[in-house]
Amino acid sequence: MESNFYYALGHDLRRRIIKIIGDNEFSSFTALKKELKVSTGTIYHHLDALSQLIEQGKDKKYYLTELGQHAYDSLQDNIESIISPDFSKKEFNSPILKSLMFLTPKKIINYEKGYKIYTVIFSISLLILGLIFCYLNDLFPILLFFTNLFQSFHTTNLSLEIFFNVFFIINFLLYYFINEIICRLVYKKSENSIKFFLSFSLTFYPTIIYLAIRYLFNELYLLDYSVISILDNILMIIFQVWALWLLTFNLIVNKHLKVENALIISLIIHYGGFSIILALSI
Amino acid sequence: MNIKSIFDYRLLGLTGSILLIISQFFSWFSGYSLMERYIIATSVDISNAFLYLFPLISGSICLIATLLIYFKLEYRINSVIVNFVGFGFFLIFIFELIPQEIDYITSAGIGFYMSIAGAILIFFHNLNILLTREKSKEGS
Repeated sequence: MESNFYYALGHDLRRRIIKIIGDNEFSSFTALKKELKVSTGTIYHHLDALSQLIEQGKDKKYYLTELGQHAYDSLQDNIESIISPDFSKKEFNSPILKSLMFLTPKKIINYEKGYKIYTVIFSISLLILGLIFCYLNDLFPILLFFTNLFQSFHTTNLSLEIFFNVFFIINFLLYYFINEIICRLVYKKSENSIKFFLSFSLTFYPTIIYLAIRYLFNELYLLDYSVISILDNILMIIFQVWALWLLTFNLIVNKHLKVENALIISLIIHYGGFSIILALSI
Repeated sequence: MNIKSIFDYRLLGLTGSILLIISQFFSWFSGYSLMERYIIATSVDISNAFLYLFPLISGSICLIATLLIYFKLEYRINSVIVNFVGFGFFLIFIFELIPQEIDYITSAGIGFYMSIAGAILIFFHNLNILLTREKSKEGS
């Protein structure tokens, strides 16, 4: 009996079958096939393996047995951790992702007990650096984009000047809350909010490097050269993509989202930010 | 006939990137194509000239990203990330160009609309890749 229980939980497809039946109280074979998108033979194979956890009623629909209900209850709390037990330690096959993670302080995003203080110090340092470099470059941050559309306000209005100068931190909070709200509302993920918040400023780590490089270009009057100007644009794109990957990684390890879902959130927010900045520029 | 049997979702990305590339050679604003504007701009102000090549660069990068999935379906996450890079070029171009040409947007040429259609297709291609379940998980 016990071995059947663990055998059933040991395969992604079988877990999904139990979850579908548990979520809907019962399920027809057609509904399972539609939901799982696998071949008829594969479903029969797994239904057979689940013989002690599910039963077929007179109406030909599948129901959970008592043991099946127990398996379903266990999955409710732990399904994501079963599916992706420790993503943070996963090695990526891709050379692009490998090199992006090599340049990233992974341990600070997914910090362990006792290292919280280092994450907090690193996060605060990043926010201060971002604030300083935005001010030095005379740029206004909107999510992961930077614009100089509001330069004219700096000399005319003191309160606006203060607002613009601390906007990097407001932008950080805004970006965090948008992510947190989407995770909670769309994916029902409310766990690790504090951990997610503390390590969230790491998302801006690549953009701060970009701001520092841009400041250097600016100070050396290199931006007047066409090649450097183009390089500046290309650097911005590359550092933005790196930042998006960090955000994705953060969502995966702290919110336990699948890589695809985390990328969808990053993509939607990023292009949403672009739409705002485009509307403002028009 | 089942539409899924004849329609490969990867065609979205392929069509989008090809549209972006060929939009470079069709008229955008004032009856000039971006390639013509690039040639004109190089003789006047070379620093802004490269900007007119961005849709071409963007389309080419997105095309490579799409072909990556044709090569191996497992590279779909990599493909999305490469698409992020490619799409970034187009966003920068639009951000620089639209405020300058906003007054003429109603009389924009076919090239402009082709590029917007291409960008939208690439966006949906990315979403589609991320929302489609990996086939390799199907096995027993």
